[in-house]
Amino acid sequence: MPDRVVVESSTEVPPPDWGRRSAAPPVTPWLFALLATLLVIGRLVLTPLLTAPVLQTWATVFVAICVQALPFLVFGVLLSAAIAAFVPPSFWTKALPRNPYAAVPVAGAAGAVLPGCECASVPVASGLISRGVTPAAALAFLLSSPAINPVVVVATAVAFPGQPMMAVARFAASLLVAVAAGWLWLRFGRASWLRVPSRTAPAGSKWAEFRDAMRHDLLHAGGFLVIGGITAATLNVVVPRAWLTSVADVPVLSAAVLALLAVVLSICSEADAFVAASLTAFSPTAKLAFLVVGPMVDLKLIALQAGTFGRAFAMRFVPMTFLLAVVVSSAIGGVLL
Amino acid sequence: MSRLSQSLVLTLLGGVVLWITALTTSYLNYVKPGFRPFLLAAGVVVLALGVVGLVQEWRRPYANAHDEHVHEGTGKQAEGHDHSRAPQVGWLLSLPVFAIVLIAPPALGAFAARGEDAPIRPPATTGSYVPLSAEKITPMAVGEFIGRAWDFRERTLTGKRVRLTGFVVRSRKKDRWYVTRMQMSCCAADAIALKVAVRGAAPPPDDTWVEVTGTWVSPRSRKIPNGTVPPEMTAIQVTEIPEPSEPYE
Repeated sequence: MPDRVVVESSTEVPPPDWGRRSAAPPVTPWLFALLATLLVIGRLVLTPLLTAPVLQTWATVFVAICVQALPFLVFGVLLSAAIAAFVPPSFWTKALPRNPYAAVPVAGAAGAVLPGCECASVPVASGLISRGVTPAAALAFLLSSPAINPVVVVATAVAFPGQPMMAVARFAASLLVAVAAGWLWLRFGRASWLRVPSRTAPAGSKWAEFRDAMRHDLLHAGGFLVIGGITAATLNVVVPRAWLTSVADVPVLSAAVLALLAVVLSICSEADAFVAASLTAFSPTAKLAFLVVGPMVDLKLIALQAGTFGRAFAMRFVPMTFLLAVVVSSAIGGVLL
Repeated sequence: MSRLSQSLVLTLLGGVVLWITALTTSYLNYVKPGFRPFLLAAGVVVLALGVVGLVQEWRRPYANAHDEHVHEGTGKQAEGHDHSRAPQVGWLLSLPVFAIVLIAPPALGAFAARGEDAPIRPPATTGSYVPLSAEKITPMAVGEFIGRAWDFRERTLTGKRVRLTGFVVRSRKKDRWYVTRMQMSCCAADAIALKVAVRGAAPPPDDTWVEVTGTWVSPRSRKIPNGTVPPEMTAIQVTEIPEPSEPYE
C-alpha cells in the first residue's frame, strides 16, 4: 500500500489532452449553486417543522461541540500541515540522541513543542521511521504529540476553567505513558512485528502540498469529531442523568467506562477536552482517563496504525498502550486531581 | 472524497460558521461571547481553503477531473497517506451545516433544564457578597441569587427586592414554577440549569422569557443541604420580555 502514491505520481506525465480546455462545461459552480439553493429552500420549508424540543436540544449540544472545537482543530491542522510541508526530513535524525533508550524520552518530549493532530501523527511517525529514526522513539512521539502539544494543552485549560490541574495532569500522564510504551517496545518489541513503511516522494509544490495536507487532515479529523459530537449529544439528551450518575459513582468502573468511550468516540485530541467537560456526571479522574486514552488509542487510530505498520504491530501495541494509559491516568488522577 | 467534494464541504462549513458568527449573534446560543474572534478566524481559514479548492476545480480541464473519478475506486486505502483524496468520513462535516441551517438550534431551554431531581451544583462563590440596597430593586444574575440564598452566614437577601431574568420551566407542583438560566463554563454541551422557584404568580408557558421581581423566601428548615432544592422567591411582579441576545449566564 505505501507505494500506491508512486502510481499516483504518474499523473505528472502530461496527459494526452494537456492544456486543452474541454468543451464540456465545468460542473463546479452549478453544483455549488444547487446545494446553496437546496439549503435555502430547506431553511424556509423544513425549519418551521423541525421544532421538537428533543431534536432542538440535541442539535444545540451537537452544534455547540462542533463550533467550540473548530478553531482548535483548524489551528492544529494548520501547524501540522506546515510541519509536514516545510520541515526537512533530515532535521529529525540530527535532533535525536543516538542511544535508543535516550532517544525515547527526547522524542516523547518533542511532542510538547510540535503540534500534530493524532491523525497526522501516524503518517509523521511512519515518515520518521523510514527516515532512520529508532522505531521506539518514533512510537513515543506518535503517542505523545497529539496529547501534550500546546494547542491541546490550551484547549484543555479552556475546557476546564478553574481546574488548571486537569491540563497539568493530562500532560504528565500522557508523557509518562508515551515514554513507558516506547521503552517497553524497545525492550520487548521485535523488528518483524513492525512493517517499516517505504518513504513517499512529495509531489508538486510546497504550497500545493500544504493545502492538500490541510484539507485532508481537516476533513479526516473533522469527520471523526462529528461522530464524537453526535455520540456526546445523544448521551446528553437521551440517556437519563440518573444512569450516568450511577455509573459515575463507582470509581474504577467510571474511569474504565470513559476510557472505553474515548476509544469508541475517536474524537480529535484538539477537541476531546470539550466533550470530556460536557460529561459533567463523571469524576475528574475518569475524565482524565478519557483525555489520556483518547489521543493514543481509538478506533480511527487503530485503523490507521494497522494500515500503516501492519496488523501484527497493532495487535500488540494497541492493548499495551490502552492498559498503560488507564493505569497511569488513574494513578496520576488520584494524586493530582 | 474527491477534491471537489472536499472543497464543497469546507466552503459550506466555513460559510455557515461565518454566517452565525459575523452576520448574526446566533453563535451565542452555543459558545461564550469571548470566543467570537477565534470562530471568525477559523471560519475564514476553512472558507478560504474551500473556495480556493473550488476555483481550482473549476479551472481544471474537464478530462483531468474525469481522470480523478477513475482513481476514486481505490480511494478507500488512501487514508492517512495520499493527501489529494480525503477519507469518506469527511462527508460528516456537512452534518453541522445541515443542523445549523435546517434545525436552527436555539439556546438550551426548558427541555434541557427539566428533571427536577437533577442535582444543582452550588456556583463557585468568590469572597463575600456586597450588601444590597433596601429601597431599590436590584437586578441580579440567577447564579448570584442562588449563591446568596445558600450563604447562611450572611443572609444578604433577607427582605431585599431583587429582579431575576430567565426563562420559564413549569413544575409538577401546582404552587410554583422556575425562573431558569443555563450556565455554561465552556460551551452549551456542558451547560447546567440554575433554577429559582417562583411562588405567588401564575405560571407562563414553558420557555417564555420573563423578568421576575420578588423577595427571597428563607427555607423553613436549615437541615436541607445546599444544592438539593432550588431556593424560593415570592413574586411581586412578572413581566414577559423578548429573549436576550446572550441567553446564557
